[in-house]
Amino acid sequence: MLSSKPNNDRVLKIFSAIRCLNRDQLPRYLDGRLTDVEKHLVEQHLTDCDLCYDALQALEKEENTENYQDLTNKLQRYVHNSIQPVSHVQKVAQYTRKEKNKEHMLTYFWVIAFIGLGIGGIYVLRGHMRNQPPVRVMAAGLPTKDSARSEAVVTAPVVIPDDHHPAPAALPASHKEAPATTKPIAATTSTPDSVAIKKAAALKALQRKAAADSIRKHTLLQKQQDSLKKVAADKAREKEEEKKPDPKPETKAAPKEDKPAPPPDTPRKESPSTAVNSDEYLYKAAMVYQQQGNLSEAIDRYKRIESVSSGKYVEMARYQLAICYRSKGQMGKARRMFKEVVRMDGSMKNAAQQALDSM
Amino acid sequence: MQQQLTNLSDKELISRARKQNDREAEGVLMDRYSHLLVAVTIPHLKNNANLDPNIVFPSLLQRLSASLKTQTIYKVNEWISHIQKGYLGKPEKNTPFYPSRDGRDLLHIENTVDKAATNIIDRQDLIVRLEQALQRLNTEDNHLITQFYLENKSFADLSASTGLTRERLRSQLKAAKGKLAKLFMNQGYVK
Repeated sequence: MLSSKPNNDRVLKIFSAIRCLNRDQLPRYLDGRLTDVEKHLVEQHLTDCDLCYDALQALEKEENTENYQDLTNKLQRYVHNSIQPVSHVQKVAQYTRKEKNKEHMLTYFWVIAFIGLGIGGIYVLRGHMRNQPPVRVMAAGLPTKDSARSEAVVTAPVVIPDDHHPAPAALPASHKEAPATTKPIAATTSTPDSVAIKKAAALKALQRKAAADSIRKHTLLQKQQDSLKKVAADKAREKEEEKKPDPKPETKAAPKEDKPAPPPDTPRKESPSTAVNSDEYLYKAAMVYQQQGNLSEAIDRYKRIESVSSGKYVEMARYQLAICYRSKGQMGKARRMFKEVVRMDGSMKNAAQQALDSM
Repeated sequence: MQQQLTNLSDKELISRARKQNDREAEGVLMDRYSHLLVAVTIPHLKNNANLDPNIVFPSLLQRLSASLKTQTIYKVNEWISHIQKGYLGKPEKNTPFYPSRDGRDLLHIENTVDKAATNIIDRQDLIVRLEQALQRLNTEDNHLITQFYLENKSFADLSASTGLTRERLRSQLKAAKGKLAKLFMNQGYVK
């Protein structure tokens, strides 16, 4: 197989296409100045190609050769000349068209780019304007946060005593008041970029103020009615205070701390039956303080609940108070509180007993 | 541009001249065959005194250029030869060029051979089929083709050994090749 391969391959040669004789092959073939391989290829081609064979035959006659070179050169020059201007014009036209297209594309590009930029800018600006106010208020509100919260807590009892208003409805109002008071500050201190925001903020503040004012008026009226009840509550509180002073001197420190807080509350005491909601609120506020780790504040609240309200909240407050004391390390006080809870014989009795046992 | 175009094949140049209306490609094609055209036309100019080369060649080129756009051209040399003969034979009548059936067969086989150059399996298959076709050829033609193609004998050698003139030899070789092509093409139907 391998030995016969070159022979085999040669069969394909019969039908291989060969180009026509080129300009210098023709005279060289006539003169016999070709290599064997080249000559063979030329002859292979000559068998197929009438044009080349005719040309060869024509040139073999002596008298034709003298004209041949001359006419060939002329014809080629003619062809070149007929192409040249056309191709040049075509090239110029193509070039100008290309340049024009480029320019057009550039203008389109810039127009689209500017439109895109404009739309993007508007979008970003709108997003900025939408996001800006809350951020500013928060930034402005951060330093006043504590004061706002304490305000909310302090104002809570003011709002709650109101009998006719359901507490849950009043509570949000009191909550809202805090941000409302801070918002105008933020608006005035910071320089808002748009008048619209200012106006909106001012409007909101006005509305909230009006709402708060109406509630306050109402509460002022209520206060006078409640003055009688306050006396009774005061007595209860004094009783509570009588109990407290007897423990160790360190406990005196705690009541002293508490003292600035209770006074604002004392005039606005509530009858136990209607104060369930306020008790709950106070209790929750105290729980929040406890969870935050602000134990003295939590103790303060629990004490207030203990003194002001009655029922299960007192028991729960006492229990929590005991836990607070325990976590503060004042074991004596904690034990006493637990014992008190056990003595109250309420729902927390078991828990208190367990705590006492484990102490 | 001119330089790049001269490297392209005839087929490529024709397609450029047609599709892109590329005058340059057309010019390169004409330039490629101009010397043959001149050589073929010279005897006519000699014989016919009233033919002016300054008129004959431009009008011939025009005719070629016109037919280039419309006609099916398998082989440029055949096409040029046909147009030239038609122009000089009957200048008033423009006879269209139709490649013959044999010419198409030949072209087909040439194309398959060209394609098989890069595919070993195809090539082996093609070789086997060609050899089969060669076996069926009559002994005289078989001998001639074997001598000329496979043993690289020149026209001169063959005419010396067979005693035929070069012209006769050529026409015989051509005929033998045509027969071989036909046999090869018919193999497909026989098989």
